[in-house]
Amino acid sequence: MDTMTNWHERLIRKTTRPTLVTTYRYWVWVAFLVAIVANGVFQYSKQWSEGLYVTGMRDRISWGLYITAFVFFIGISHAGTLISAILRASKATWRAPITRIAELITAVALVVGASFVLIDMGRPERIFNVFRYGRWQSPIMWDVMAITTYLTASVIYLYAPMIPDLALYRDRLANKVGFIRRFFYETVALNWRGLPSQVRFLGKAITIMMLLIMPIAVSVHTVVSWIFAMTLRVGWNTSIFGVLFVAGAIFSGVATLVLVMATLRRMYHWEEYLTPKHFLYLGYLLAAFAGFMIYVNINEYLTEGFKLEESGEFAFRQLFIDDFAAMFWFYVIGGLIAPIVIMLIPKTRTVAGVVVAAILVDIAMFLERYFIVVTGLRVPLMPYEPASYAPTFIEWSIFIAGVALFLLLITIALKVLPMFAVWEMTEEHELAIARQTEPVLQTGYEGPAPGVSGSPGPDGLTEGGLS
Amino acid sequence: MTSRPTRWFVRLSVLLLVVLSASPAFASSIGISVGAPETVTVGQQVEVKAILVEDGQPVVGAEVALTYQTTFGGRSGSVELATATTDESGVALMVYEQRAAHNDELQIVYLGPGTDPVDSYSFSITVAEGGAQLYQSESGVEIPFVNGTLVILVISLVWFLIALAAIRLVQVGKAGRVGKLVSDDVGEEGSMWIGVALASAAIFTAVGMVIVFVRAPVSNTDLTDPAVYDRTPIGYIDATYPYEGFGLADTSSAETGDPVVDGKALSLQYGCAACHAPTGLGGVVGVDLIEEVGSFNSFVEDVREGPKGMPAYSESSLSDADLQKIYDFLKARE
Repeated sequence: MDTMTNWHERLIRKTTRPTLVTTYRYWVWVAFLVAIVANGVFQYSKQWSEGLYVTGMRDRISWGLYITAFVFFIGISHAGTLISAILRASKATWRAPITRIAELITAVALVVGASFVLIDMGRPERIFNVFRYGRWQSPIMWDVMAITTYLTASVIYLYAPMIPDLALYRDRLANKVGFIRRFFYETVALNWRGLPSQVRFLGKAITIMMLLIMPIAVSVHTVVSWIFAMTLRVGWNTSIFGVLFVAGAIFSGVATLVLVMATLRRMYHWEEYLTPKHFLYLGYLLAAFAGFMIYVNINEYLTEGFKLEESGEFAFRQLFIDDFAAMFWFYVIGGLIAPIVIMLIPKTRTVAGVVVAAILVDIAMFLERYFIVVTGLRVPLMPYEPASYAPTFIEWSIFIAGVALFLLLITIALKVLPMFAVWEMTEEHELAIARQTEPVLQTGYEGPAPGVSGSPGPDGLTEGGLS
Repeated sequence: MTSRPTRWFVRLSVLLLVVLSASPAFASSIGISVGAPETVTVGQQVEVKAILVEDGQPVVGAEVALTYQTTFGGRSGSVELATATTDESGVALMVYEQRAAHNDELQIVYLGPGTDPVDSYSFSITVAEGGAQLYQSESGVEIPFVNGTLVILVISLVWFLIALAAIRLVQVGKAGRVGKLVSDDVGEEGSMWIGVALASAAIFTAVGMVIVFVRAPVSNTDLTDPAVYDRTPIGYIDATYPYEGFGLADTSSAETGDPVVDGKALSLQYGCAACHAPTGLGGVVGVDLIEEVGSFNSFVEDVREGPKGMPAYSESSLSDADLQKIYDFLKARE
C-alpha cells in the first residue's frame, strides 16, 4: 500500500537520483560535449584572429548561421514562459512536474542565444560601445535591453520556485554530497524553513515574476523580429513578423521541452511523473501552434503575393521554387502539417509520436529561421546578380558547439539542481487526494485517502500552501 | 557709372515700386539690375526680375539665367535655377522654389543673343528661419510623451517589479534567519547573501539601463545643425559636372616612392577600387584585375578605351606614369 509519505519519499528519491548517482556514461557524455564545445572555441579563435572573412558572410549576405542560431535559441527560451508562467497563472495542475525543466531551458537557451550575437560580431571587443554610444532609436538596442531584462527575469523566475527544493536538497543531501555542493545548497536555499512568512514572501515573488515574465517574453521575440521588420528588405518588411516570431518561438520552445523531457524520462526512469498525459498535452499544444503558424504564413504570403511587386517575385521564386524550396516545403509539410496529422491519428497519438513531431518541429523551425535570415538578404536591391551564402566549416563548428553548450549546461544543472518542483508536485498530489479525485499524477495509489492533508512533512515542505 | 542720364531712371523707378529691392550694376554697354525679395522662406516661390538696359533703352529678347554658386563634393560650380527672356520692357521674370535653408551667392548671367561681354550681376537673398523644410531635417514624427518618455517609464516599471521580486527573496532569507528551526536535523544557520546579491544586481542593472537610456544621444550627429549634417545639394539634369573620379585616397599617399604602394593609393584615388575592389580582386561591377590584366600595353589600351561601360581615362586625367604604378601594384599581387 502506497501512503502519502511513501509517495513523497519516492518522489524525493527519484528527484535526487541524478544528483547523487553519477554513472560513467554521464562522464562520457560530458566529455563528448566538452570536446565539441572546445572545438567550437578553437574554431572561434581562428575567426577572432582572421575576422569574419573565415565565414561565408560577405557584404551583401551579412547574416547567416550565427543570427539563425541566435533567433532559434532565443525562440527556444520561450518554452519556460508558456509552460511555466501561463500554466501556473491559469492554475493548470498538470504542469507541476514539467515547470522546472521548462524554466531551466529558458535560462540556458537565453545564455547560448545571446552569445551568438557576440560570435556574429566582427569586432566583439567593441561590444561596450553599445553602452557608450548606443542609441535607443536603434532596434539593436531594443534587443539588448529586452534580452537583458528577460535573462534577469527568467533567472529569478527559475530560482524563486526552486528555493524550497534547494532547501530540501540542503537538508537531505547534507551528508551525501561534497563540501562544494553542500555550501552551494546552504547558500542558495536562502534559510528556507517553510515558515509562514517565508511562504508568503516567496509566493509574492513568484506571483510578480509569473505575471511579469509573460509580457517580457512576448516583447523579447517581437523585438528580435523587429531587427528584421524595421528594415525595408523584401520579405522582412512586414507587420506580421512579431506575431510570426512569438508564435514560432513558443512552438519550437514546446518542441524542445518535449525532447528534453523525453530524454530525462528515459534516462532517470521518471515515467511516474512525466506521464504520457504530459506528452499528449504538449503534443496538442504543438498541433495548435502548428495550426496558428499555418494561418500566419498564409496571411503573410497571400497578402504579399496577391499584389506581387517586382522584387517580391524574386523573393517568392527563391523560396517556393528555386534555391530554398526544399527548406521551405520541409518547413510547411514536416514542421507545420505533420505535427497536426500526428496528433489527429489515434495510433500515432503516443509519447513516441509526440517526440517525432517535436523533432520535426525543431528542425523545421531552425530551417525557417535560416531561410528568413538568408532569403531576405539575398534579394538584390539593385540590378545585380543575387549573392550566395553557405556556412563554412568554422560556422558549422561554432553552431554545433552552441548546441553542445546548451546540452552541457542542462547536463551540469542535472547534477546540481532539483529537476522537479517537489513542493508543487506534493501540493498537487495532496490536493488531488483531498478532493477524493483521481490524482493528477499517475501513482500507484490505491488505498483510501488520508484524512489530513496538511500534515507537516519531515522537511516542513507541506507547511502552508503556496499559490 | 553713375554718370548715366536720368531719362531711364524715371522709368525704372516705376518698376522699383513693384519689386522689393533693386540696385543697378553695369558692365559693358548693357546694364543689369535686379528686383528680388530681401528675405524668403523655404518652400516659397520666389520671383526674381532682371532688368536689362542698354544705353537707356530696354533690351528686348535677351536671354538671362538665374544661377547660384555652390560647392558639391569638394568642387565649386554654378547651378542654374531658372532662365527667362526679357520682354519689351527689358524685364525677365524668373521664378524658382526656395529649397535650401540657406542661400549661397545668386547671380544673373547674360546668355545672349550675341557675345557681348556682360558681367554677371551678383546679389543675395536671405532665407528667414522658421519656414517649412522641403526635406525632413528631423527624422520621424515627434509625438509628445510617447517618444522616449513612455519607453523609459515602461522599462523603469518592469525593472522596478523585477527588483521588487528580488527583494522579496531577500525577505525570505531574512525571515528564515530570525525564525526558529523547524527541526534539529536542519543544518546550521545558512546565509541570505545570495538574495542580497541578486537584488543588488537587479537594481544595479535597472538603474544602469535607465541611465544609458536617458543619456543616449538622440543621434550621433546633430541633425539640426547644418554645419555637421546637411543634405547634399540638389543636382540638376543637364547640369554638367566634369568627371574627376572618386577619390578615396589622399594624393599625397601616392608619393612614397615604392611603385607598388603608390599604385595601390592611385587605384583608390582614380576610382579603380570603386568597381574592382581595393585589392583589385573584382567586385560587383568590375572584373578581377589580378586575373584579367595582361601586358602593360593592353592594360593601357583598356584604360584609355574604357571597355564594357568602364569610364575611359584620357592621358590628361590619368598619366602613363601613374598607370605604370597601378600596373606594378596589380602585378605584385599576382
